[in-house]
Amino acid sequence: MAGIRPRIPSTAYLILIGRLIVSAVFILAALPKIQDPAAFTTSVEGYRVVTGDLAVWVALALPWLELVAGFGLLIPQIRRGSALVIALLLIAFIILHASAWARGLDIRCGCFSAHESYKKPDYLWLIFRNLGLLTACGCVLIRDWQYPRQRSLREGASTS
Amino acid sequence: MLRELCIILLLTVIGIAYSLVGGLSPQPGAEPELQAGEIYLADAQTLNAIWVDARAIEEFEESHLPGALFFDESDWDTGLLELMNTWLMQPRPIVIYCGAEACDTSKRIAKRLRESLPDAEIYSLKGGSVSWQE
Repeated sequence: MAGIRPRIPSTAYLILIGRLIVSAVFILAALPKIQDPAAFTTSVEGYRVVTGDLAVWVALALPWLELVAGFGLLIPQIRRGSALVIALLLIAFIILHASAWARGLDIRCGCFSAHESYKKPDYLWLIFRNLGLLTACGCVLIRDWQYPRQRSLREGASTS
Repeated sequence: MLRELCIILLLTVIGIAYSLVGGLSPQPGAEPELQAGEIYLADAQTLNAIWVDARAIEEFEESHLPGALFFDESDWDTGLLELMNTWLMQPRPIVIYCGAEACDTSKRIAKRLRESLPDAEIYSLKGGSVSWQE
């Protein structure tokens, strides 16, 4: 049996691609906002959920959380935690966009740059995009949750 | 899982500290650089604005921006009439300045003028006359 290499299921490749895409999206989204938190504060205040100092703190912390979680998705030691953080962030973004859409707010998304144009955001596209990312992140999260269990089951089977 | 979340939180806090210490971010709680209705000299100079000098007459006579109108807050009607004449002939943004950063006269006049001239674009100059005397 020693010469038989374990077959990697095709879903593993899909999960890997999903992980890379979500990771890249979050890293690329975080970097411009880290460089210009003052401009991102304006985008945050545009949603009219937080204002003043709280908006400054959100604009300061959120890009770093996105960056750490984006890189964390590629680091086995913090992969599950990062996937969970990203999933929660995406749920929050979907709720925020839906809320802004319902209130008819004409705002800058603040998604990928602090200096986006003032053109009216396409809320439907934003929500679907985040739902897509959330699906990919959910698959990664489920896979990572199952993986240690599968490994421990394999180890248990090999010792018995 | 808790350990992973703690690591993520710690790295995020380090990032926030880097932004704060490195001067990338404005300090939360700090006064915003430009308050509502204020304008920087460099921006105001691009507007072809009507300049309104809200300092004391002695200071105005000593020096003022070319073409600036003297506006005595205590003689409101005269100042408003002169300003309205200028503005109605050629509607332009109005920029009011007083003595220094800390003076409040320009902001107060700007606020009252916005009520009298609701169609006008009215600003108070950030830094006051000090900004163009430097």
